[in-house]
Amino acid sequence: MTERDGGRRPREGRSGTVPDDADAGVRQSVDSPLPSSLVPLEARRLSVHFGNRSALDCVDARFAAGETVSLLGPNGAGKSTLLKALAGILPPSHGEVRLHGRAVRRPSSAIVYVPQRSGVDWGFPVSVLDVALLGRGLRRSRFAPLGGRDRRDALDALERVGMRHLAAVQIGQLSGGQQQRAFLARALVQDGAVYLLDEPFAGVDVPTQELLVGLFGRLRDAGKTIVYASHDIAQAVASSDRIMLLNRRLVAAGPPARTMTEANLRAAFGGQAIVPVASSAAS
Amino acid sequence: MSGLGDALVEPLRHAFMQHALVAIVLVGVICGVTGTFVTLRGLAFMGDALAHAIFPGVVIAFLLGGNFLIGALVAAVLVSLGIGAVGQSGRLSNDTAIGVLFAGAFAIGVALISAQRTYTRDVAGFLFGSILGVSRTDLLLTGGVGVLVLLAMLLFRRELTTVAFDRVFAQAAGLNLWAWDQLFLVLLSLSIVVSLQTVGNVLVLAMLVTPAATARLLSDRLPVTVLVAALLGAASGVAGLYLSYHVGIASGASVVLVATGLFALAFLFAPRTGVVTARVARRLHFPHPERDAFAAEGNRGMGYGDRV
Repeated sequence: MTERDGGRRPREGRSGTVPDDADAGVRQSVDSPLPSSLVPLEARRLSVHFGNRSALDCVDARFAAGETVSLLGPNGAGKSTLLKALAGILPPSHGEVRLHGRAVRRPSSAIVYVPQRSGVDWGFPVSVLDVALLGRGLRRSRFAPLGGRDRRDALDALERVGMRHLAAVQIGQLSGGQQQRAFLARALVQDGAVYLLDEPFAGVDVPTQELLVGLFGRLRDAGKTIVYASHDIAQAVASSDRIMLLNRRLVAAGPPARTMTEANLRAAFGGQAIVPVASSAAS
Repeated sequence: MSGLGDALVEPLRHAFMQHALVAIVLVGVICGVTGTFVTLRGLAFMGDALAHAIFPGVVIAFLLGGNFLIGALVAAVLVSLGIGAVGQSGRLSNDTAIGVLFAGAFAIGVALISAQRTYTRDVAGFLFGSILGVSRTDLLLTGGVGVLVLLAMLLFRRELTTVAFDRVFAQAAGLNLWAWDQLFLVLLSLSIVVSLQTVGNVLVLAMLVTPAATARLLSDRLPVTVLVAALLGAASGVAGLYLSYHVGIASGASVVLVATGLFALAFLFAPRTGVVTARVARRLHFPHPERDAFAAEGNRGMGYGDRV
């Protein structure tokens, strides 16, 4: 792609994979190579194509233990594609995903993926507790029912997302925020090192947003890696350690204040950049 | 009283009726269980397609003197693989792929059997079943296959449920969607094949979909839905057979009519979800200031404000 060489240059170039120039002043703080033990998840020159359409083009990214990263970009920027490739669901056309230094070719139980709510049939006859238990069921013997410990863990997870009192409710009766919480409980039951969430803030109420932020904070403090796609720039700026601006290729990555520059936003969102929000948040 | 007893006992004196009853109970249970997943996944058209697509397999097995079950299974697997391949090519919807392939496969079967002298009788038997001709061997075969299907559904319940409920999550959990879909389609094909003799190709869809749909109206939990669907399938089968015997109508149609009648009852009167029940319950139990205010305003004098 000639895009990279033309007009705007990607702001992130690490590990020598994307040669960066001497533009040291705007280099990102995460540029310094982290020891690989602190980098559970890494994408190297990751490209994904659907047919001959490129959805993701040569993205390099490293995700550290104990950080929250939000992916921002316009529709079709490849946020979901990147998350799915990181989760091992979508095979990359080029490049690779590495988990703790080893190439990921299939889904791993260390990576917990939380899909968009819209992809699920909410009329399905399962209760909130059943959904949470899905996080455990596939790892247990097929010859035995799930044990009391699994139920306790699931109920604990529901407690953590404030849904324990709704454990027996069929999922179709839930509000958008409650559905997202049920998904989160399932993710907590899975208990991985990395949490990848596709649009967790989309269409949820304010209490759920606050709960999500609090939960991400606690997971981060426990040394987990949280990466989520979002549309809400202000929210991402306020509550993530780093932001990745994506528009099929990586436009910029780094701490919110340094990443959300007008130039970067314009490069990521084109003419539709929401500059006032970004600049006020970055200042 | 003794009249009712006679009506129930008298048909049992015939061996064909005993066999038919056992067969329809087996079919009701098997189809109720796999059918629950058919309805949950919106695969009714796929089920109908498989029922038709196995026709050439049955015919070829019949012509070669082989086992019709194997012929049917081979045809079902080939057609479902074909549907998958055409559907994934991107240009055509799955729905279209199903339509093209099942009609084509069915036509092969019709073409083959039309060259036979017993054409009309054979086709009629296939389309509408011949439950009164079920032999002891047929029963053993149906029972054996049925146990196999039910065991597989039980062992793989978590995978099949996860794949049906949340496909992206299933993928992220390491499940191969294609493989699990194919497994389910094979189990579905087996259920259809063992049902053909009893209810026939045209009405097997009802055994898959109707009891499961009724069960879904009555339950919000998957294990309960599966059990209720199996029970309703068996019960519709038995009641339908008796109806057929006493009234003198085709057994397949009579079974399906009973199942459909039960569905209608549940649709109208199921606790909480029934169309009639819900309306009555809203009026009786749940005071709702806004709606009541609205109702009182808009429907003054129409009885909307009345609550017990």
